Amino acid sequence: MSHIEDVLDSLASDLDGVVLFSPEADLYEQLTDDHEVVVISAEDERDAERFVELPVEFSELSDRVRFGIEGALAQEFLGENDQVLCLATTYGDSLDTAMRVRAGEFTETGVYDLFVNSRAEPGVIRNVVDVAVELGKKGQKGKPVGALFVVGDAGKVMNKSRPLSYNPFEKSHVHVGDPIVNVMLKEFSRLDGAFVISDGGKIVSAYRYLEPSAEGVDIPKGLGARHMAAGAITRDTNAIAIVLSESDGLVRAFKRGELILELDPEEY
Amino acid sequence: MVDPAAIIRTMLSEETAVTVAIAVLFIGAVAGYLVWRTTRNLLVQLDVPGAVEGTAFERTIQNFGLSTVGLFSQMAALFVYVLAVFIALQVAQIMNADLFWQRFPQYLPQLFIAAVVVIVGLVIGDKVSLAISERLKSVKLPEVTLLPKLAKYSIFYVAALIALGQLGVATMALIVLLAAYAFGLLFLSALAFKDLLTAAAAGTYLLLTEPYSIGDEVEIDDRRGVVQEIDVFVTHVESDEAEFIIPNQRVVRSGITRFR
Repeated sequence: MSHIEDVLDSLASDLDGVVLFSPEADLYEQLTDDHEVVVISAEDERDAERFVELPVEFSELSDRVRFGIEGALAQEFLGENDQVLCLATTYGDSLDTAMRVRAGEFTETGVYDLFVNSRAEPGVIRNVVDVAVELGKKGQKGKPVGALFVVGDAGKVMNKSRPLSYNPFEKSHVHVGDPIVNVMLKEFSRLDGAFVISDGGKIVSAYRYLEPSAEGVDIPKGLGARHMAAGAITRDTNAIAIVLSESDGLVRAFKRGELILELDPEEY
Repeated sequence: MVDPAAIIRTMLSEETAVTVAIAVLFIGAVAGYLVWRTTRNLLVQLDVPGAVEGTAFERTIQNFGLSTVGLFSQMAALFVYVLAVFIALQVAQIMNADLFWQRFPQYLPQLFIAAVVVIVGLVIGDKVSLAISERLKSVKLPEVTLLPKLAKYSIFYVAALIALGQLGVATMALIVLLAAYAFGLLFLSALAFKDLLTAAAAGTYLLLTEPYSIGDEVEIDDRRGVVQEIDVFVTHVESDEAEFIIPNQRVVRSGITRFR
C-alpha cells in the first residue's frame, strides 16, 4: 500500500503548478489554496483566474494536454521549466488521471496559436473545424468527400484566387455556425474548389480556384493537390486553411504554410 | 345596486338567515380551497417556480418558509374566504350596516390586485436586472452594474404606480415624474445612439445591395485598400500598411470608388 502512496507522492512533490482539465467545484477551491491552478476546459464555469479555453473536444488526452500547456505557456501562466501536475478525466465523468509533465517538454506545434492568434476570430475557426469534422464523419450521401476552407484575410485570398463558376454565396449573408450552413456546405462540398470565409465568419465564396505561389511550401509528402493549395495559400496570405481529406478522411489545419493540426473525425 | 344580502334577509326568517350564513361560510371554505389548489396548479404548470427562482423576492420570503407560488395561491384563497365571511355576516345581520364595512367588500378586489401588482413588479424587476447583468457579464466594467439596477428600480416604480392607482391614491405627480423620466431616457438614448443608428441604416443598405464585396479594391474617403469585412456598422478596408475601419454612414455619404 505504502509503495503506491510513495509513487503518488513523487508525482505530487515539488510542483510549480496544477493543470486542471475537469474543473469540479470543490476540487478547484481546495487546490487554489496552496497551488497555482490553471483551468483548461470548454467553458469557464469556475471563473478561474487562469483559464485556457479548449476550442475542440480533443478525444485524445495527449492532444488536450498539449493544447492546454501550449495555451498556458502562451498566456504566461506557466514557465518553460515548470513542473506541473495535470489532473484530467480520460474515461467516464470523474477525475481519473494524474500526469506529471515539464511545461516546455513538447516541441511547440502551434495548435493554441492557430486558434487564438490567427486573423479570424477563435469562434469562427472553431465552427469551421466543427463543420469539417461533421462533414468527414457523415460524408456526402455516405461517400467520403473532400473540402478546403480558407479562413480569414478574405480580401487578399479573393485576390489570389479566381472563380471556377458562379459563386453560390453571392449576396447571401450566411455565417459559419448558422444552423443551415452545415446542410449548405454539405451540398456544395461536391463542387470543386475552396470555400473562402472572412475574419468574422461570413462565407464569402465557394468554388474558388486558389492561385498562390507554392514556392517553399513544406508539407508532408503524399498529400494531394488540395493540401498543397491549402499550405500555399496560408503561406502567401494571413489566412489559415482547414482541409478535409477525401482519401484518408482526416481534418488538417494549416497556418503559415505549415501543417499544424491533424484530427480524425471518427473520434469525435 | 341591489344588495343580495338584503333580499335574502327580507325573504327569510332570522333563524334561516343564520343557517344560510353558515352555508355561505361553508361554501366559501370549499371554494377557497379549490381556488387555492387551482391557482397553485396553474402557476406550477406555467413554470412560475422556475421563473422566479433566484430572485431577491423569492429568497426573502423563503426565509419566512414561503414561496412565491404558495403566497399567490394563499392570497387568492384568502380573498375568497374574506369575501365569504363578509357575505355571511351581512346575511346573518350580525354586523350593523356601518358605511365602511359596507364598502369594504367592494374595496377588496382592488386591494387584492394592488398586492398582486406589487409582488409581480418585485419579481419582474429582479428578473430583468438578473437578465441584464447576465448579458453584461462579459463587460468587465464596474459602472455597468448601474444599468441592471436602473432597470430594476424603473420597474418597481411603475409597479408601485399601478398599485397606488388601484388603491385610489392620487398619483398624478408621480405619473408626471415617470413621463419626464421616460422622455429623458428616450431623448438621451436617441442622442447617444445617433451615430450607431445612421451607421446601421447605411449598413443595411450596403449589405442588401452589395455595391462592393469582400476582395474588391476600393477607395473611400481617400482610403484605398481591399475590402476585408462588411458588417452592419463598419466596413474594414485594408491596405498594405494599415487596416481602416470605416463607419458605414461615411461610405454612403462620401461614395465609393471601385478599382478594376
